[in-house]
Amino acid sequence: MIPIEYFLVLSAILFALGAYGALTRRNTIVVLMSIEIMLNAANLNFVAFSSYFNDVRGQVFALFSIAIAAAEVAVGLAILLNLMKTRETIDLQEIHILRW
Amino acid sequence: MQPIEFAWLIPVIPLLAAVVIGLLGRKMKQGGGYIAIGASALSFFLSLLVVVSVLDGSFDSADGIVDGVYEQSGTWINLTSTYKFEIGIYIDQLTALMLMVVSIVSTLVIIYSIAYMGDEGGRKRRYYTEISLFVGVMLGLVLANNYLEMFIFWELVGLCSYLLIGFWYHKPSAASAAKKAFIVTRVGDIMFMIGIIILFTTFKTLNFRDLFSMEVSGGDIGLLTLGTFFIFGGAIGKSAQFPLHDWLPDAMEGPTTVSALIHAATMVKAGVYLVARSFPLFAQTPETLIVVAIIGGVTAFIAATMALNSPNIKRVLAYSTISQLGYMMLALGAGGYLFFNAMGSEGYTSSMFHLMNHAFFKALLFLCAGSVIHAVGTEDMRLMGGLGKTMKITSFTMLIGALSISGIPPFSGFWSKDEVLAVVWNAGSLSWVFILLFVLGIATAFMTAFYMFRLWFMTFKGEPGEASAHSHESPRIMTVPLVILSIFAAASFLVLFIGDGFGAVVFFGESHALQAGELLAETFSDPLTYASIIVAVSGLGLAYLVYYKRRVSSDVFVSTPLTRSLYDLLLKRYGFTAGYDAFAEKAVYGFSLVVDWFDRKVVDGIVNGISFTLAVAGNYIRRIQTGHVQSYATVIIAGIAIILVLLYLLGGLR
Repeated sequence: MIPIEYFLVLSAILFALGAYGALTRRNTIVVLMSIEIMLNAANLNFVAFSSYFNDVRGQVFALFSIAIAAAEVAVGLAILLNLMKTRETIDLQEIHILRW
Repeated sequence: MQPIEFAWLIPVIPLLAAVVIGLLGRKMKQGGGYIAIGASALSFFLSLLVVVSVLDGSFDSADGIVDGVYEQSGTWINLTSTYKFEIGIYIDQLTALMLMVVSIVSTLVIIYSIAYMGDEGGRKRRYYTEISLFVGVMLGLVLANNYLEMFIFWELVGLCSYLLIGFWYHKPSAASAAKKAFIVTRVGDIMFMIGIIILFTTFKTLNFRDLFSMEVSGGDIGLLTLGTFFIFGGAIGKSAQFPLHDWLPDAMEGPTTVSALIHAATMVKAGVYLVARSFPLFAQTPETLIVVAIIGGVTAFIAATMALNSPNIKRVLAYSTISQLGYMMLALGAGGYLFFNAMGSEGYTSSMFHLMNHAFFKALLFLCAGSVIHAVGTEDMRLMGGLGKTMKITSFTMLIGALSISGIPPFSGFWSKDEVLAVVWNAGSLSWVFILLFVLGIATAFMTAFYMFRLWFMTFKGEPGEASAHSHESPRIMTVPLVILSIFAAASFLVLFIGDGFGAVVFFGESHALQAGELLAETFSDPLTYASIIVAVSGLGLAYLVYYKRRVSSDVFVSTPLTRSLYDLLLKRYGFTAGYDAFAEKAVYGFSLVVDWFDRKVVDGIVNGISFTLAVAGNYIRRIQTGHVQSYATVIIAGIAIILVLLYLLGGLR
């Protein structure tokens, strides 16, 4: 039995990596991937606690979360395609028309 | 059922007529003029019933009559059990007299209007609406049973006069005259309101019945004096008394029929009526009564001097109205002072008698002047002359009016003016002030005769003037009211000789019943009577010599520098017009500029300052919004991290 702390530490590391990537990378696809990492860090937590408390609900939530993440990626990539068509860039530094 | 129980219909009928004409007049014949005539004639008929029931004694026996006053009233506003306002009607002999005078004069004036306003086209509907409203609210004012109700009608009368003086509002002079009438009388109205508030706070009621039967004592006398003084202030404005007289000559910009109505029946009579109605209160405050008498006497004199050389036929009549109203006030003041000193109250009776006579002869004079203006198309008497040949009825009826107002016996003006002067003379034994006022009154009588006959000779006698070439007699619908009014103007004194005389009906305190013989003996054994006849005849004679025989050239009045400057001073109305204009321009406009500056700089400054600060601050703060999604996300994550750390440190997570 692996202690719960290991999972939590791994999950925290993954979440921090994802957050760092989401905040710093200029390529929007990489940012999307970073967000996926953050989501999976949360899923890991769900599953870990589900096993720890012997409660199946955590795993159900993780499955929901994965399904929603898939939908989210589909929407995100569709936006990116349109962005590429109209602005010919997916660099987040250059996408800033919603400002003062 | 007593006919008097329907007295409340008297003001309601013309008011309804005003509504009907206002809504439907466009489709009616004469713009609804016949409806207006019918309504005021119906009011006249009801007033006649009221007068009859006052005269035949059934007034004393009908139900609901207390102390000779018939009253119908209901609670209108109930503030608390002690503070409440009523609405209702209050009929005593004074009310009956006023109802009679107002309704008969206005009926005749409206009949006359059919011809006089005949070619006004689409404006006739507005004219008849406003004039019906005017008559209705004046009758309402006369019938009111408390000061609040009276004040409401009082203001409506002012509104109607504003509308009618400015009837031809496309003329700038008429528009400004209307504004002047409204604003100047407003000064008086504010004083009236102050007076009402003083009475209400002191005596907790505004009902005539309660106020008049009240025993006032101690410190309340001072407040009562103040209250009556301010109420008189309202009368000063409405009745065009000095120093608020200046609006009335300008009010001549309205149609002549309106002038006749304002001068004879409504508006200016409201001020005198107010003082007469409040006489039980005034009679307890001698200080106010002296003020009333002084204002009245001075007004009578000053207005008469201004009438001496005015070239405008209507202006002369306007000044004479002011002057005669001054007489009425003088009689009320002096009479009240006499009553206060337990020397009888003939002043009240004589003032009301003069009011009635004045209503008839002034309406007559104005309608005659209207007939003349209708014929020659100008108001300048220097362009008239010789009209007596072509306008026989007008010139004859106007002669009767002029004789009456001048106080030539046996016309009615003589009897009332003589009584007024006699009252002032009697009051002279109490105070030297009244002796002075008597002298002013006598001088006014002289000037009245002079300027009225100057007017008459200049208009109807002598060589035909420029404008009299195509003159013609007015249509019958105009001359018939003239004839009826001239009968009244000549013969209204007969009420002195019917039964116990006028004094037995309209009186204050004790009645002054006099049989015809006694009255004649008393009048013609008094040297004062001859004095007033002599001054009237000499005024007439002087006008005859100067303006008819031309024995004395009228140039003598302007030949020397002194008389020339006096002449100009009179034409300038003693500079009152210029003075008021200068006051408005310098003081009011100056003050307005200060207020304007305050509004612009201080009020707007604060508002603009706040918005400017916010705009500048916003200009800096908006730069936070860069459009970079990642920087927003950074802030969010940093914020959550800080919250988590804080929660941990403060123990919220444990």
